[in-house]
Amino acid sequence: MALIEIEHLSKHFKLLNRREGLKGAFLDLFSGNYRTVKAVDDISFSIDEGEIVGYIGPNGAGKSTTIKMMTGILQPTEGKILINGIEPYSNRISNARRMGVVFGQRTQLWWDLPVIESFKILKEIYAVDDQTYRQQMALFEDLIGLKKLYPVQVRTMSLGQRMLCDIAASFLHQPKVVFLDEPTIGLDVSVKARIRDVIRELNRTQNITIILTTHDLGDIEALCQRIIIIDKGKLLFDGPVQRVNQLFGVYRTFKAQIFDYNDTTLDRLKALVQDRFADPDAVHVEENENFWTDIIINQEKAPLREVLNLVMSKFELEDIRIVEISMENVVQKIYDGALL
Amino acid sequence: MQRLRYYLRIYFLIETQYIKSKMQYRDDFIISGIGMVFSSLTTIAVFWVLLASIPDLAGWNFDQLVFIYAFYMLAISPFQILFDHFWQLRFHVIEGTFIKYYFRPLNMMFYYVSEMFDIKGVVQFVLGIAMFIYASIRLGVVWNLPQVLLLLVTMISAALVTISIMVIAACTSFWIYNSYPVLDLARRLREFSPYPMTIFDGFFKLMFTYIIPIGFVAFYPAQIFLNTGSNSTAVYLSPLIGAATFALAYWVWMKGVNGYTGTGS
Repeated sequence: MALIEIEHLSKHFKLLNRREGLKGAFLDLFSGNYRTVKAVDDISFSIDEGEIVGYIGPNGAGKSTTIKMMTGILQPTEGKILINGIEPYSNRISNARRMGVVFGQRTQLWWDLPVIESFKILKEIYAVDDQTYRQQMALFEDLIGLKKLYPVQVRTMSLGQRMLCDIAASFLHQPKVVFLDEPTIGLDVSVKARIRDVIRELNRTQNITIILTTHDLGDIEALCQRIIIIDKGKLLFDGPVQRVNQLFGVYRTFKAQIFDYNDTTLDRLKALVQDRFADPDAVHVEENENFWTDIIINQEKAPLREVLNLVMSKFELEDIRIVEISMENVVQKIYDGALL
Repeated sequence: MQRLRYYLRIYFLIETQYIKSKMQYRDDFIISGIGMVFSSLTTIAVFWVLLASIPDLAGWNFDQLVFIYAFYMLAISPFQILFDHFWQLRFHVIEGTFIKYYFRPLNMMFYYVSEMFDIKGVVQFVLGIAMFIYASIRLGVVWNLPQVLLLLVTMISAALVTISIMVIAACTSFWIYNSYPVLDLARRLREFSPYPMTIFDGFFKLMFTYIIPIGFVAFYPAQIFLNTGSNSTAVYLSPLIGAATFALAYWVWMKGVNGYTGTGS
């Protein structure tokens, strides 16, 4: 049996249809006019022991609603969740005993205490035996050099240190599954890499299932074998990361701020690239805010170098940036049938 | 029983750490301690002056009123020491930080309460004891074992009533955006409790006895020890009222907790 089984899971929220203006607000006080929002809409998947699964989607896709149902905060409207054969909402405490959670920026360690005290408290809460405790602490010392942080109060730590400690703490009691929500958000590149290494090692050595939600495609690339993409509450893709990797691997967005931007600039640019690259999927031009123009390039069909040279030969550029494709664009590509 | 031991062990572990860490901010500890002494003393002084200037209040003499007031101070101390951060519950609920309390395999109210230990409340408690002893001596209250046990039971019940009223008020933040006015109202109502309920007219007396039972914070239970010979039946309801209000508060808390959806990520 799979570790996590989710079948036809839905969560609906009833929201009041609000009217405009003061009069509307007054009328709303007595209104029974609700609409149903399907935050999660008929999702099914199962996850095996030891997997690292990326659970991704744009903002408002229903990711955190799903996580809240898996961690026992929210009751599903329909469908069922079984983690380890347990239904999380009605058995919150037994579910929590076998689960670890790290929620982005919000630490769950005791804010005013030296970090070692948090680990000691957690040892008691999860009834971790002495031998396991010593062994886990030795592992954390190897992975993140925890010892030198022992006397440091959590509130005086840097975000990176705190995140490492939070991650370690979530693995202390050797849970069956750990939920990591945006573990690298707001961190600089070297710390991100360190955190990814730590997560990978913990998963490898402990065979603990990890469910990772993130906006950072780098996290996905570095950690996940499998990803599940949801959007507007519906399951969009569930499969090996390689297939999606091709999607965001080959695309680059060339952002350019064109000198002397006017009404005709965009059309001229579009005509220029279409002239050279006939395939509509090779290069796609779209307007962005503050006079930035996005040129989305499929590197398999149009070499980045050629596009850059072409554009720079005809336009004067004030500023440029080259970035990876965004989560929103990945989702858009999937809607457009990129994975079919 | 094993469960109780488990919770007690975790509780003492967390609290000792907290107290230790609080003491590390020595200046803060000393200044807020002094502040609490003064603020308690001023409240007592105002009460003292007020009562000293009238010969008696609805048949209660000065020493009896001090006794009731001391009972009140002791009864509200557990709230102050252990539950004072229920004032902040609304921020956790609005900002979404409340969800962390779901993640540990602990009773959520226990987990929330374990994060509080207000040393200032201890100062208030000590002053309360001093006043209580003073009034007891002046009134010649006899403290034998049954009396002391009775005092413990009534005191715990009284503390539960205060705690419950404030917890219920704080829990409104699960349903309304700004629960501060509700909490503030609850506190103001609580401040009526050191006065003899007999000074209120029918409506308020009924309300303070049976609906928002602040009469049980000090006035009714204190009468047991004052031997006025005019104890109404309400006096002996005290333990029952304590348990019942707390059960209600816990029920409201669970309702709020189970319906909470958090904020968007």
